[in-house]
Amino acid sequence: MTAVALSRSRPAPVLRIEIRRSVVLWAVPLLLALFYFDSFRTAAGFPPVWTVRSSVITSQMISDFGPFAAGLAAWAASREGRRKTVDLVATTVRPAWARQASALGATLFWLVLAFLAGVAAIYIDTALNATWGGPPLWPVAAGVVEVGTFAVIGFTAGALFPGRFTAPLAAIGTFLLAEIGFHAALQMNPEGSTYALLSTATAVPLGDNGVFYHVAPDVAIAQVMFMGGITVALLGLLTLAPACRVSYRGLLSGVDRVGRGLCVAGIALLASGVAASSTAYALAGTAKLTVSGWDIPALHDAASDQPVSYTPDCAGTSFRVCMHPAFSGFLSDANTALQPVAAEIAGLPGAPVRAEEVPSGEGVGHGLVLPGLPRAGLSGTPPVYTYISDDGLAPLWGSPAAVDNAGWRAGFQQAFLTALVTGPPHAGPGPDAAVLSPTAAQQAVITALMTAVGSTAPGFGEDMTNTGQPAAGATPAQIAAAAQRFASLSPAARHAWLAANLPALRAGTVTLAQLP
Amino acid sequence: MTTTDLQKPSAPAAPARWRAAPGIRLVWLHWRSRRVPAAILALAVCGGVLRAALEWGWLFRTGHFAQEFPMIIEGGAAAVLVITAHSPFGEPERTASRWLPYLRLGTVLAMTGVAIGVLQLAVTGASLDGGILVMARNVIGVTGIGLLSSLVTGGLLAWVLPMAYIAFAEYALLESWTNPWTWPVRPPADRGAWLCACAVFAAGVVAFTIRGARTRLADDS
Repeated sequence: MTAVALSRSRPAPVLRIEIRRSVVLWAVPLLLALFYFDSFRTAAGFPPVWTVRSSVITSQMISDFGPFAAGLAAWAASREGRRKTVDLVATTVRPAWARQASALGATLFWLVLAFLAGVAAIYIDTALNATWGGPPLWPVAAGVVEVGTFAVIGFTAGALFPGRFTAPLAAIGTFLLAEIGFHAALQMNPEGSTYALLSTATAVPLGDNGVFYHVAPDVAIAQVMFMGGITVALLGLLTLAPACRVSYRGLLSGVDRVGRGLCVAGIALLASGVAASSTAYALAGTAKLTVSGWDIPALHDAASDQPVSYTPDCAGTSFRVCMHPAFSGFLSDANTALQPVAAEIAGLPGAPVRAEEVPSGEGVGHGLVLPGLPRAGLSGTPPVYTYISDDGLAPLWGSPAAVDNAGWRAGFQQAFLTALVTGPPHAGPGPDAAVLSPTAAQQAVITALMTAVGSTAPGFGEDMTNTGQPAAGATPAQIAAAAQRFASLSPAARHAWLAANLPALRAGTVTLAQLP
Repeated sequence: MTTTDLQKPSAPAAPARWRAAPGIRLVWLHWRSRRVPAAILALAVCGGVLRAALEWGWLFRTGHFAQEFPMIIEGGAAAVLVITAHSPFGEPERTASRWLPYLRLGTVLAMTGVAIGVLQLAVTGASLDGGILVMARNVIGVTGIGLLSSLVTGGLLAWVLPMAYIAFAEYALLESWTNPWTWPVRPPADRGAWLCACAVFAAGVVAFTIRGARTRLADDS
């Protein structure tokens, strides 16, 4: 076997050398440090729900890995030009595309390995804390493809424009692309934004995302298709690059130099990449917001719209506090908070017999009222108090030990009592109507009931209107005095008055002076 | 032709315009060897992108996220700036030129000023969040990080650490960190942030002036 034949038949040794000498190895400690401070700590601050924590993979981790993938790949691609060995390596038997493939492969090897190590760290930490569900794989696929796409963008820039500024400009450019995607994601409206959907950056999802309903993989599929298309198209461009560097008259000789087969392959790659990206762009434009997130009709599986079956975890005897098993770590705190106030209102007309967690609905966060979704508040016969994870449990996420649990308990109790005392939320007049705060008498009763169970007095938003008038029709001092008066009654007297007057109080017809 | 002529060939005559100002020619040659004109062009591109982002609404104009986009551009400008630390001549230049430290110092200070000026020019009339103070502080501080980094990695890879710092500062911004060493997230007039940024810049400039960037690239070993 000649040296030429050996060189042609064994690309693996070259790849091994490239992997061993890759510049990415130098940056891996830096990437891992950045990952720990940014991505890992951010994920650890989210609720231990697989879907929510995995959102970090396509947001923070891309910001941490993407720019360096592009910059370091550009650096690797410009090596021959930087070391002035272009003519030297041009005389070797190995074609340019094979050398570039080895350099790109080695760069991708370390980048993807470091990225997957980060994913593993997040998923192991989630597995140790989660009480329900399993690791979603679509965010990992989208993240790996995006890192690969950023690397190929940088590599192409480095190969086509070798220069000392190419690497940092590639890094900055991709950093900005990710940032613009994040900006678009935060400003997403129910009508959707194609760029925001194709960018993997997302706003922090709701705490129960993927818990009550499956997260449809439609958008992830479109993202992988879009970024994969860009990658394939750029690889085609890299294959064609030697032929493109000649003048029009020398085009045929350029094709001969590259090889006709390679030229055909390059054109095919370019065309298929552009087609895949264009298709994904068109598909993303048809996305609709539903209860399970963004659905793309052409990719959507209607079976994924069905609620996920589960058996709620409950605590308490006469008054039951139930929540989804994904949040069962918070059940004890929620039960401890609600039992005293539930005992205080037990037997009153419309008093709930049970508290139950219901889905927030991804669309609700965007201002949509989605049909078929239970609403937070009191409903049903016998009445059940329903709450959502983001309003009720959010302050307990991350590091429960650092949370002001007394403050959280008071807030949770206030929401519970407000639902009983005020009924369904009342909105003010006009198209931009805000939910009206409780009346002065309602505020006084809620305050008194919370005082009776030993909680801190609640707050009800702004005390004064823009015109300087008391927002609830009475000053905070007047409300506090009435609350104190009501709280000083015996429990039996307080209960008897509420039993007789709760409907009127809920209707807003009871004034502060009418409170005993 | 005598032996002396062979041993000491006469140097090619400099163009007439340089004869009167050899110092200016030296500076110009130093800048060309560091690709300073291309760096100024790259800085102009950074300024153009920032202006485009302001005009076309790619960034938040106020609030918590308003500094995210400008911070990347400012870090990028600093990264471009420190790339000019790389010398294509290596050791021979160090041993032969006694003016080299002064040229390095002058180049860094001039390029920092140019970077701030170009970015300020780009946002004139567009009300950038934080204004020129935050922009200048970010460019100065991140340039200092890049110059210190160039002593270890060489000038061509000196962009890596500044970009990592900017990525970390993005996290610090979202988490509302208040440490002075996370100066990009501090208010414009924050004294501690200014002290940190200026200290890092001063350390970087002094070390770079005296030692220069590493001439052997970090991935050559």
